[in-house]
Formats: sequence, C-alpha cells, structure tokens
Amino acid sequence: MFKVKPALIKVVVATLAFSFLALNPTQAATAIPKRIISLSPSATEILYAIGAGNQVIAVDDLSNYPSTAPITKLSAFSPNVEAIMNYKPDLIILNADATKALEVKAALEKLKIKVFLERAPLDLKQAYLEITALGRATGKISGAQSVISDMKIKISAAIKKGKTSKKITFFHELDNTLYSATSDTFIGKVYQDFKLVNVADKAATADSAGYPQLQSEYVIKSNPKIVFLADAQYGESLETLSKRAGWSGIAAVKNKNVVSLPEDIPSRWGPRLVDFYEFIASSIAKVK
Amino acid sequence: MKILKSKGHESVLAPIWNWKITAFAAALLFFVGILAISFGPVSLGFTEIIKTLFGLPGGLTGQDRTLLIDLRLPRALLAALVGAALATSGAVYQTVFRNPLADPYLLGAAAGAGLGATIALTSAGANLYSLLPIFAFFGAILAVLVSFFISGKFFAEPNSLLLSGIAVGSFATAVQTYLQQRNSSSLRPVYSWILGELTVANWQVVTWSSIYILIALIILITVSKQLDGLMLTDEEAYSLGINPNKLRVIAVVAATLATATAVSASGLIGFVGIVVPHLVRGITHRVTNRGLLTIALVGASFLVLADLGARTLLSPAELPIGVITAFVGAPFFLVVLRKKRLVNQ
Repeated sequence: MFKVKPALIKVVVATLAFSFLALNPTQAATAIPKRIISLSPSATEILYAIGAGNQVIAVDDLSNYPSTAPITKLSAFSPNVEAIMNYKPDLIILNADATKALEVKAALEKLKIKVFLERAPLDLKQAYLEITALGRATGKISGAQSVISDMKIKISAAIKKGKTSKKITFFHELDNTLYSATSDTFIGKVYQDFKLVNVADKAATADSAGYPQLQSEYVIKSNPKIVFLADAQYGESLETLSKRAGWSGIAAVKNKNVVSLPEDIPSRWGPRLVDFYEFIASSIAKVK
Repeated sequence: MKILKSKGHESVLAPIWNWKITAFAAALLFFVGILAISFGPVSLGFTEIIKTLFGLPGGLTGQDRTLLIDLRLPRALLAALVGAALATSGAVYQTVFRNPLADPYLLGAAAGAGLGATIALTSAGANLYSLLPIFAFFGAILAVLVSFFISGKFFAEPNSLLLSGIAVGSFATAVQTYLQQRNSSSLRPVYSWILGELTVANWQVVTWSSIYILIALIILITVSKQLDGLMLTDEEAYSLGINPNKLRVIAVVAATLATATAVSASGLIGFVGIVVPHLVRGITHRVTNRGLLTIALVGASFLVLADLGARTLLSPAELPIGVITAFVGAPFFLVVLRKKRLVNQ
C-alpha cells in the first residue's frame, strides 16, 4: 500500500472543488445578464419583443429596429473583441455567420463573457426555438413564450387569408442579375406556406445554400404571376422590369403584379415575421 | 519566325503570317456563335433560328423571337466583343512589356474597375446601381492614368510602369476591401461582379461597348506591324524607323480603352488575356503581332463558348463565366506551354 500524504489529498480536493465551481453550468445559467450586447439585427428585435430590452446596453450598426435600441458602431459582420469589451458586457449575442465567429466567441469566453451563438434559422420552427433560447439566456422565458404564441396565431391567420389552391407561380428577385431564393431557404419557406410555386426551385441543385442565379430566358419562359422585388431599394421596380428585354410579356409585369418587398423585414426572423406574412398574404390577395 | 525546312545550307523562312489562319478563326467564330445561340433553357428549333437570323419567312415569332433576338444574340455578341478586347489587349501588353505574363489587368485596370463598381454598389442614399458600368469604366481608366503619372517619364522604362501599376492596383484593392467591409450587404453583388458575368447583356450594352472596343481594335490592328518592333531593343526599333515610346503609348492607351470597356460591360473575366494570345502563338508557332486579328477572333470564340458553358452547365441557373474561363483555360494553357517547351528542346 502507498502511503498518501494528507497534504497532497488536500491539494487535490481543493483543485477539484475549484474546477467544479468554475465549470458548474447551473450556476452560470441562473445569473441573469444585465449588460447584453446584440450583434444581430434579428436578435435585437427579439430581445425587445420578449421584454429584455432594458438589459441591452449596445446593439450593432445594422440593428435599426426598434428605434429605441442603443445603436452603436459595433460591427455584427466583423466583430471586434476589444471594441465589445469597452462596454463591459456580460452577454454577447453573436451571429454564427460573422467573420471568424468561433474565434471571437473563444476570445470573449476567455475574458469570462458569456456568448450566445445565434444561427440563422432554416424555417419557422427553428426561428421559434431561437426565440425560446434567447428567452432562456436572458431570463425572459415567459416573455419569449407569449411572443411565440402571438406570432403563431397571427401567422396562421395570415396564411389562412393568403393561401390558395390555384397554382400561383412567383419569382423572388434578389438583384438585377437575377439571383433568387429557392424553397430551401427561410424566405422560400414563407412563400411555400402560402402554397405558392417558386420558379427558382428548378435551379435548386445549383446552389447548396438555395440562392441560385437564374437566367433571364428561363424566368421569361416560366412566366411568373407575381414578382417579389427584394432589390426595390436598389431602384428596381415595375418600370425597370418592363424595360428588360422580353420581360414585358411576363404575366406579373403585364398585370402589374410586381411587389416591392419592404426593407429589412424579409431578412429578419424576429417578431416582425408576422408583418412579412401579412404583407405576402395581401400581395397574393391581389392576384387571386 | 520559324524555320520550316532546310534546303542544303540556306534555310527558308516561313511567311510571317498566313491569311488562311485568320480565315479559319473567322469561320470558327461564326460556327461557335451559331452554336451558342442555339442552346438555352428554352429549346428553340435550329432551322427556325437560322431563318430568323437571316430574315427568312418561317422564323420564330412572339416570345421565342424575343428570347433569341433580345437575349441570346446580344449576349453572344457581348461575349465575342469582350473576348476579342481582352485577348487582343493581353497580346499587346505582352509585347509592350516584353513579358509573357502580362495581362490586360496589369496596370491596375482590374482593381480600378473593381473599386469603381464597389463605389457604385455601396453608395449610400444616392442610387448609383445603374451607373455601375460608368463607374467601372472610369475606375479602370483612372487607375491606368495614375500608374502612368506615378511612373514618371512615359514608358522610358516599361518596368517602372509595370511596378507602379501593381502599386496602384494594390491601393485600389485596399480601398475597395475597406468599402466592402463597411457595407457587408454589398458583398455578394461585388463578388459576383468580380467573377465576371454577361447576364446584363442587352442591345444597349452591346452598342456602346462595340463602339469603344472596335475603335481600340482597329487602332491596335493598324499598328500591329510596328508592334513587332517593340519585341526588339529600343535601339533596334529606332533603326527600323519606329519610335518605341510613342508606339507604346498608343498601344497601351488603345488596349486600356478596350479593357476598360470590356470590364465595365462584364466584370472581371480572368485568364482570357493570357491564354488566348499564347494559344494562338503556340498553335501557329508565330509570335508576330500580325496575328492580332486572329487573336481577337479566337478570343471572341473562346468567350462565346465559355458563356455557353456558363448558361448551360447549371441550367436554368447561371455559373459565373470567370470560373469557366479559368477552369478550361488553365489546363489548356499548360498543355500548349508544355508542347512549346518540347518543341524548343
């Protein structure tokens, strides 16, 4: 038998206890963050909707909604750890698509700052999970639940209003070089909820992320009944579309069913998704 | 010039250029052009296409006619113009700089155009999106002009111009990257512009770009005979009655005009300016600039074919044409290079 020195045992026990304290996950989860920085426009909208707005001390330069959010020059696209630390935060909402997101996360965690890595949801279900998770992370679980149930009611009402059994084809235009979004994307699934037929789906294999670039010839031939312009802010409109070669014959252009999508809303998966669903519903109503 | 065969002690030189090669290149372009407009996501009858092209009765009507005349035809023509412009400019730059690696983007034209395009895409408030071609055009011209002035004496030393072109290019790229970083929403459009695309082709673009490109090509082909003098030392060129400095300025200005137009119409399509001149020289075993017209024709055919690939490989989606020119061009180029080396050994 070895004779173990009592002093050594003490050291081992102390080390174990210390590391347990340091790693104890329940203790970390119970602390409600008071100084949150949101580096995601969608998360900012969600935080304010679930009632965590007064815990937010700074948001990134693109978080323009709600207008009361403390907008700063912090970049969500290429986060700067030192600039973030300047605000003495205790929780950072970081978008997983940001430049070097994982490195930034590791650096912040090394500085003992909690990081919520937010991934772009692929469908509505994931968006709800994201809201729930944000509620849990900020101590606003019931706020998140009521936001979700409110969204569910309003969205299903919008779908009921806009849904159609007719095969209405549409083209969602991202820019004037005809990039589009298939039904594999988040926005494509919104259209799918209304049973609209996406002309970009024939090109679904071209891009694994679901954003293929379509050919003008193909769009003309598939003759969509509605065109949704996500590039209206870049100057595209019914007028510019009708000037494109061969486009004046497309049903959507002929019948003036070219819809300019509102800025920002279609690319955010927060509570304003409701607005987007209602917008699409009323756009379809005009075609039916 | 290549020695064809030996008669006893004296060797017989091959003719400097052979018009048959040029005729073959023209026929190739015609054939490739017909091929290109015959394919697309919508299938059109071949005989109808031919009838429509030559204005014969029984051609396409209605929407199909629009597809052919307003979409496929301008796109094929633009591809041909851009291909001709880039290939010819590349060949001229290689001669002027006595450097086989020179390409039309060497003097900062690409980076300058990229910066111009990015400014147009990121400009807040003012909607400059539709002015992108103009911004790209002047970006390219400005970058080359700045390279000229920084290098000091016009062309007394082609190498110093080359170096200042590289510096100006890096500077423009730095500013472009900064703008892009500050406007992340412009990332994708800038990226797809950099890869090059002919999707915006219409008759308007074809018309204005054809004016500049044809003027530039006519100038270059007119001076092509003298350009051979630039392959010698300046003293030798003078002895042939050529003013090398003046000729270099004319050549670079015309080549830059062609390049800037091509870039502003179609983005940065890479590799055409290097591959095509070497391809033509490698296959014909002639380095003379009298082949400039042939290089233009082959460049045109190359890009028309590449665009056919861009339109059909992922149909009905698009593939950026720059991907195809480099993917097909690079290996092809290596084969020619290897063969050439074997011949030289």
